[in-house]
Amino acid sequence: MIMLSSVAERLYWMARYLERAEDTARLTLAYHHLIMDIPRGSEPDWDVLIRILDAADDFYTRYRAGNEQNVIRYLIAEADSSNSIPFAVSSARENVRTTRDVLPEETWEQVNELYIFCQDTAEGAVGRRNRHAFCEEIINRCQMINGSLLGTLNRDHAYRFIKAGHLLERADMITRVVDVGAGDILDREGAFAAVDPLLWGALLQAMSALGSYRRMIGPLVEKNAVVDFVFSEPTFPRSVRFCLRGIREELGPLKNNRPALRVHERARRRLRRFEADQVTRQELHDFIDNFQLLLNELHLAIQSTWFQPDAR
Amino acid sequence: MNKSWKSYRPGDFFDELVTPKGSPRVKARQAVNLLRSLSVEEMAARRSAAELAIRELGISFTVYTERGNIDRAWPFDIIPRIIPATEWTKVSEGLTQRTRALNMFIDDIYNEQNIIKDGVVPAEIVLDSPNYKPQCQGISPAHGVWAHICGTDLVRNVDGKFYVLEDNLRVPSGVSYMVENREITKRVLPELFENYSILPVDDYPSRLYQTLASLSPRDRKRPCIVVLTPGIYNSAYFEHAFLAQGMGAELVEGSDLFVDDDDCVYMRTVDGPVRVDVVYRRIDEDFMDPEAFREDSVLGVAGLMRSWKAGKVAIANAPGAGVADDKVVYAYVPDMIRYYLNEKPQVESVPTYLCMREDDRNYVLNNLADLVVKPANESGGYGIMVGPHSTKATHRKFAALIKKDPRNYIAQPTLSLSTAPTYIEDSVQPRHLDLRPFILQGKDSWVTPGGLTRVALVKGSLVVNSSQGGGSKDTWIVEGKS
Repeated sequence: MIMLSSVAERLYWMARYLERAEDTARLTLAYHHLIMDIPRGSEPDWDVLIRILDAADDFYTRYRAGNEQNVIRYLIAEADSSNSIPFAVSSARENVRTTRDVLPEETWEQVNELYIFCQDTAEGAVGRRNRHAFCEEIINRCQMINGSLLGTLNRDHAYRFIKAGHLLERADMITRVVDVGAGDILDREGAFAAVDPLLWGALLQAMSALGSYRRMIGPLVEKNAVVDFVFSEPTFPRSVRFCLRGIREELGPLKNNRPALRVHERARRRLRRFEADQVTRQELHDFIDNFQLLLNELHLAIQSTWFQPDAR
Repeated sequence: MNKSWKSYRPGDFFDELVTPKGSPRVKARQAVNLLRSLSVEEMAARRSAAELAIRELGISFTVYTERGNIDRAWPFDIIPRIIPATEWTKVSEGLTQRTRALNMFIDDIYNEQNIIKDGVVPAEIVLDSPNYKPQCQGISPAHGVWAHICGTDLVRNVDGKFYVLEDNLRVPSGVSYMVENREITKRVLPELFENYSILPVDDYPSRLYQTLASLSPRDRKRPCIVVLTPGIYNSAYFEHAFLAQGMGAELVEGSDLFVDDDDCVYMRTVDGPVRVDVVYRRIDEDFMDPEAFREDSVLGVAGLMRSWKAGKVAIANAPGAGVADDKVVYAYVPDMIRYYLNEKPQVESVPTYLCMREDDRNYVLNNLADLVVKPANESGGYGIMVGPHSTKATHRKFAALIKKDPRNYIAQPTLSLSTAPTYIEDSVQPRHLDLRPFILQGKDSWVTPGGLTRVALVKGSLVVNSSQGGGSKDTWIVEGKS
């Protein structure tokens, strides 16, 4: 099976953008629900979403206040901001548009429909009334696309780069959510202890982890267990550990994989050594900072090995 | 019952579906009757369904405007054009004959030049043409074929006969729309297919694959074929991707390929370089290889010509094939058919006046109001003057252009392009159309059953190009009596 370097790169980015669109929709949805459950005055700031996406610089050049209306508009209707759902969707579409020949035929149609849906409805979903339906539809459509890729793609190079892109993006997003979300709760220093379990619950929800957490750990949502679960639970497909293992599976059969595997191994070891019950807020933040650097190094290794080989 | 069909009259033109008296032609009867039975609302609903299908299938083409490139949905008319198979078979044979002769001509020009030596075609019209590429002299590609994919434009005149308007031998496009048009009709008017035996069109990509595979310099079971595209901003990008996918070939841009010191073409892949056997190029030859043609090209592959000359790669269409795709050379095609094949041309050409000949030029200048004047080397319908539809000022402008550069202009009588019922707003009206079948030639030849029908959506207009407001129709070649 032949795979052009340029095509591998686009597939990888298609997968990253689809995952990003889905994750951003999940995050928005979880937060949207959380806010309605919390008494006035004790709710966290909307701008935590902006910080999770590391988008403060861009956001505050466009808006003055990080209030609900602005944050939501920024995330779901601002097509030219690289942190928005429409941007992720149209970037995914651009990448599919140029790789149609290696994807199942329905993929283009599905991604194009997702794009049309997003174009037609994003603006109307800024208000609370349609927000839920919009986010859910984005999530559903992304899952449908992933599902049909999973069900029809040969397990060859195309699949490998798509999966690597998905998992790398997901791992990156999980660490961001934990870093900022957990940090935000911890920073409140028990000021609103009564609502903290709700916040942890929402955090899990944002990563689609609440159901599995309850089944495996129990109904009590508690900080250390949450962090431990989304980082290290080997059976949960949205844990960082699970993502790393999946990436390893796909890098294995590729030629010239040594540099990427080396970085991967460092990330795996770092994660294994991490213990949630011991860490302070600052230590958690430092760990995640470091870990994200490793994820980025892994991305760069993949890019320089397979996407931009220097040969001529 | 939809009233608009009742008042449908083709006027002074040959109509594809309806006789001059207003009743449906034999092969079209069932389809027309069914369409007639649909209410105005029903027709509108089918049209919306077609528009939705086009949007969802992502069938688009790119238009260049001052405000940047716009990706436009493919304009499609839901009423199919119907041609009896018995009639088509003859046209199809004529097209095969014509393409064979054209390929023999190109091969002759770049080798012996017998046709010039024998005085059938004057040397200057060939060798002075910008489409003649001296870089190609002395090369004999596989099977002696240069134009492997030919998109010939046909029109049907008021006499009901098909005429060849031009031969597109460089990078003809449109075939993907032919395939997709059928797909759309199947989705929105499935009941039309019930009583018809219509020749399928969706095997084009596999036919193209066979043609290209037959050119491979290496004897392999599955030669490595690539479709070379200028990229996503090309107006036909959709088609490039469509064909690559249909053939299971790689869709590449210039930057994906390189020519190594061994003169072989390689593509950059995740497993390292892989040798390429056949390049189906969808970029203009002038941009194909900065080493051999335009140095400033960033779209091409440096060394591609070198590799082709060394016989290490096949290129379709071969560089230089455009020498036979010139509106002046066109006038000599019937002579070529007689010269190379010793046969009578089976499809008509349009009588052509060459402004480089003094007699012809004088005739053209005196009859501008009745003629269509075309530059010899433009495509896409640009730079054309349709005499009867133009002002005196335009006539004067073209007279000056012709006098300045007679070699670059030809003129033809204004043909009465045939019409077909076309769904415009909420009524059915006659609109002019042409037909572009595609002829494949490698080891064997093959002609698409039908082709791409393009229709001028503006009343009375003869300009069918999609870049200038034209639309398209599904084209049926229908067998048996129905």
